[in-house]
Amino acid sequence: MDRALKTRLEARFGDVASGPIRQRHDETELRIPAGAAPDVLRALHDEPDFKFLMLSDLAGVDTGDHMQVVYHLWSETTSDWLRVVADKIPRDDPRTPSITFLWKGAEWMEREAYDMFGIVFEGNRDLRRIYMPPDYTSFPLRKDFFLPDDAARSPGGGVRHMERSHAPQGTPAGSIRRVKA
Amino acid sequence: MTTTAGPHQHASADDPRVMLDDEIGVFESIPPYPPRTEREAEFYTLGDGEMFLNMGPQHPSTHGVLRVVLKLDGEKVVDLDPVLGYLHRGVEKLCENADYHQVISQVDPLEYISSLFCEWSPVMAFEKLLDVEVPRRAEYIRVLSGELNRVASHALFMGWFALDLGGLTPILWSFIERDEIVEMLAALTGQRMLFNYFRIGGVNGDLNHDFMSRLGDWMSRATGQIEANLTLLNENEIFVRRARGLGVIDTETALSMCMSGPNLRATGSPFDVRRAHPYSIYPELDFDIPTRSEGDSLARYLLRIEEIKQSLRIIDQCLHQMPDGPIMAKLPRLLRPRPGRAYAAIEGPRGQYATYAISDGTDQPFRMRIHDPSFIHLQSVGLLMKDNLIADTMAIMASLDPIMGGVDK
Repeated sequence: MDRALKTRLEARFGDVASGPIRQRHDETELRIPAGAAPDVLRALHDEPDFKFLMLSDLAGVDTGDHMQVVYHLWSETTSDWLRVVADKIPRDDPRTPSITFLWKGAEWMEREAYDMFGIVFEGNRDLRRIYMPPDYTSFPLRKDFFLPDDAARSPGGGVRHMERSHAPQGTPAGSIRRVKA
Repeated sequence: MTTTAGPHQHASADDPRVMLDDEIGVFESIPPYPPRTEREAEFYTLGDGEMFLNMGPQHPSTHGVLRVVLKLDGEKVVDLDPVLGYLHRGVEKLCENADYHQVISQVDPLEYISSLFCEWSPVMAFEKLLDVEVPRRAEYIRVLSGELNRVASHALFMGWFALDLGGLTPILWSFIERDEIVEMLAALTGQRMLFNYFRIGGVNGDLNHDFMSRLGDWMSRATGQIEANLTLLNENEIFVRRARGLGVIDTETALSMCMSGPNLRATGSPFDVRRAHPYSIYPELDFDIPTRSEGDSLARYLLRIEEIKQSLRIIDQCLHQMPDGPIMAKLPRLLRPRPGRAYAAIEGPRGQYATYAISDGTDQPFRMRIHDPSFIHLQSVGLLMKDNLIADTMAIMASLDPIMGGVDK
């Protein structure tokens, strides 16, 4: 745990952060609104006292209430992984700015997040499905997409269970998994 | 009486034409739909004298099931568009519907050449979620078996790379090497390829006599054997001239393409998770991070050779420093980590394998993101391939060493 990093982040990003900076094991977590991601990540990448030159991972997350895009960054200036959580992206129209202008390599990871969650990355030049076929319409990693086993038990189950655009008709409100993440 | 079919007759249900909406035509490389993105529109617009060529999905040099649409000008590759998803299983979804122990066997077949590394990063992430301390002996066994797997993977890479450049012998030689290691690991784990060996909090079995005797046997001649393999390639003028200066990338571009592992180190950047963000017992071990500055295919090949030598050093140290003790932490059968998030990254033979796990307090991970280096590296193939010949496509792709199981997840 790098306490100094926490202080530095609080001083620099205290006004944009949408929650407290948390630390656990070797991870530091910075939570920001999705719209602020390009500015924050550019600052983390360019400024000499941060120098987070490496984007280790970009992941989409569906918490059941809203979407998140989670960036993991590495820098030689700290011994922690920095996790930047672009938070509170609405589930019914998930949109967030792309960071391909900083890391060209994020393009495919954003395509994957789009394919699996339907998160639209504005500014990505090549935002099409990457794993699923081009005429596929569901987003499989969303929490309201049930696996065939679950779908058979679910109220709308049975019909074309591998493809489902949204929660099946008549799904009880509490039937999808939710987490406070 | 003749029995010719007349127009009044019904079409047979066996006639394949009845079942198809459209006539079967030759393969159309240009999508029939209007381009959906800027990049797709750019790619599927032909310039003067250019043509498309489809490569794959079944092609011996694509290392799995990968389709690549090449845009050619004569024999020169202008641009390319990889089409993925032929091996997609939806591992992340399967993991979210499996309990924490079952995840290990789900992630095994991702990069089937180096399965232990695919297990390692989720196991580490779950241990962080659970706040478990892994016994030291288990850590040593993990590093020992992991480094053996790294050698096996790199040995196979040597063979594949040469095969894609047109040499058949090296792959036969490297399979000898790989087979010995794989048999050794089979004695330890019970499986030749999909080991399913790491457990949350330790490993599945202790070192046994069969494994140790095979390992001792192999270690006594490994260095010599690898040197012998190298004489096949390193002094081969055709190979060296072909691979040198092929698919050059510099550090800055490699970082912006999110590359890691040997492909990044071949450009001169010393980033290795084992040193950059130490985990397990790597801080206690003495080894070097080889780098090269050329950034071409030959550099990527030579760098992996250096890594084999470093791995042998690590294995040697592990054998000498192996502590006694338990191999599993004390954990309940059913794991219910407190709600939280954990990220764990490790250095595999292809680069950085990482897992981001979210727990919601139940016995199944709420979200499990698997970051696979092959996927990332395949992305830069288009960048490296510009203005090279078709024949070099395979060489460049092989030098990045992607495994399609991991790319497609």
